[in-house]
Amino acid sequence: MSEGVNMSLNLAALSEQIRTMSQQVALTVRQRDEQLAQLRQRYLSETGREQYWAKAVELSKDSAHWLLAEPVEPLDTVRDLDNVPTDYAVVATDGSHIDVDRHGEVNCYLINIGQVYIRYGAQPEAYLESSPRLYFTEADLYIAHETQRIPIEGALLSIRRDIEEGIALGRLAGQYLTRLTIPRLALQDGTLIRWALANAEPAIRDHYLRQYLTYLEQMQQYGIPVASYISRTRSPEVMGLLRLMLCPDVRVDDRRGANCMQCSDAKRGKIPSCMICQNLIDADLFAPWLQEGQRGPLFRSFSRISIEGYEHHQIHFFFLRIGRELARVEIPAWVATNPQLVAHVHALVYDQAARGQGYPVALQRAHEQAVIRSPERRVFEQMVAGALRQAELSPGFSAKRESKQFVQG
Amino acid sequence: MISVAQNGRIGEVLESSTTHFVAASYKVLESPPFGALVRATTTDQSLVVYGLVYNIHTGSREPGGRAVVRGRTYTGRLLYDDEIYRAHPDLGEVLQTEFAALTVGYRHNGRLMQRLPPQPPPVHYSVYACSDEELVAFGEHLDFLRTLLLTSGLPTDELLTAAVRTIAMARRDGPTYLIRVGRELARLLKDDYDRLTALLSRLRP
Repeated sequence: MSEGVNMSLNLAALSEQIRTMSQQVALTVRQRDEQLAQLRQRYLSETGREQYWAKAVELSKDSAHWLLAEPVEPLDTVRDLDNVPTDYAVVATDGSHIDVDRHGEVNCYLINIGQVYIRYGAQPEAYLESSPRLYFTEADLYIAHETQRIPIEGALLSIRRDIEEGIALGRLAGQYLTRLTIPRLALQDGTLIRWALANAEPAIRDHYLRQYLTYLEQMQQYGIPVASYISRTRSPEVMGLLRLMLCPDVRVDDRRGANCMQCSDAKRGKIPSCMICQNLIDADLFAPWLQEGQRGPLFRSFSRISIEGYEHHQIHFFFLRIGRELARVEIPAWVATNPQLVAHVHALVYDQAARGQGYPVALQRAHEQAVIRSPERRVFEQMVAGALRQAELSPGFSAKRESKQFVQG
Repeated sequence: MISVAQNGRIGEVLESSTTHFVAASYKVLESPPFGALVRATTTDQSLVVYGLVYNIHTGSREPGGRAVVRGRTYTGRLLYDDEIYRAHPDLGEVLQTEFAALTVGYRHNGRLMQRLPPQPPPVHYSVYACSDEELVAFGEHLDFLRTLLLTSGLPTDELLTAAVRTIAMARRDGPTYLIRVGRELARLLKDDYDRLTALLSRLRP
């Protein structure tokens, strides 16, 4: 390294620009704080009219251009943390994958699911494992639908992995939790809403959704609450509800919801009233009044896939304060409608995050188990190549031939 | 850890070479003591390898991983020692205790030899603690003393005296045995009075 003699970046010229930028940011922050203060006031003033706004959400769901959440509890709900049970057990899964390598020697992909079971209290025990699985058969690589053969790769493989995480969690719960009588929890990382399926072709959506719902159904039969933990979420669904509160067109009594195509503000040449919510997220709204361990009100997500496809498992959520963070915790409807289960989820998720210094231990461990590091990836590729050689296939040649077959279908 | 009976085995070989082997315990923080004689199995059922535990190490299983401070919980509660392990049952799965043993001999077809084995114990083979009878039988020969004195880079004097004390404790004629070892050491170290006196003073039980 040179000692700064040949510095090519003109720092003197930059410092002035950095100063201007920071002033701009400070201004934006002040504006944002003012906007948020107004919005919070507006939101809280609607407490007691939850049913009205639930109807407004229902009326607007097809014509509003933003995401929505339906209030299930009073808007100003703040729930303290229940006593955390000393004895409880948790299972969690997380996954990673190696995608089909189109230039590779053979058509296959790998899904690695990290699986965790931890029991706390009088009989502490833990089980951590990663179970990799290689997918290479025709049925693994393609979804056959009528005359179509849809390859499972890229976004579709991510969907498949999400589903496999759920299925593995169901299996893990059956293996470790069903025999226990202490409080139990099955925890997933990220969202329970399979957003990616909303835009998938119907055949794919139905294929995977059915598997996912089977897993949720199984958990419901076990009576083991399922929850997912989303750290630093930028979800704007409650903001969508707030937009309805600001919308000049919502008149529930006339059965009118928000209709962005016919926005009356826009017609009058005004900036739509709801635009104040632009760039704001749900966590901003709840941040000031949730203290450590407290949770906010329950909402039902109005994401299309959950509303239209999840049947009695429709996803609900609440925000939970853990240190500086508001985490979004998602639960299916059958958990959300059982106050005791909600309290359990609240307490156990908080305890998990507290034990993990801000992020649930079980999820951390599941992630550690699932992750595939690049040296491991290389070894995997070598193993595949080596095995093919041993099978006396000329990998390059056979890959070419196979790929031709694939094109022919 | 979901505990599984190990049929007496205390560890599994992770690294192996002719002069020493490293084994991991099946339970974190459980290891044979410093100076203990352990027995490793090999592919040849009539051959077992003996080693003296010279180092015990506990750390993260992940390469490059490191434990973090956990004595103060997120909510400010203080946890001490075993409480930390009880509050984090997963620690038993992510931490690992390993022990390293210096190879000091082997037994082949029932014959004990205090010299290096033809093959080291293979990786993943089992390590067992030695019974008192085995310890007594091993201590009968004193060739291992020379092996220890000639090994460099390890706390060999500490290892030698710890091992000899353990053997003496297992024997009925412990004090006589110590004198016998002392005489042998005096013979081996006739040119190094300082080292000899240091060793002899550490041999006292």
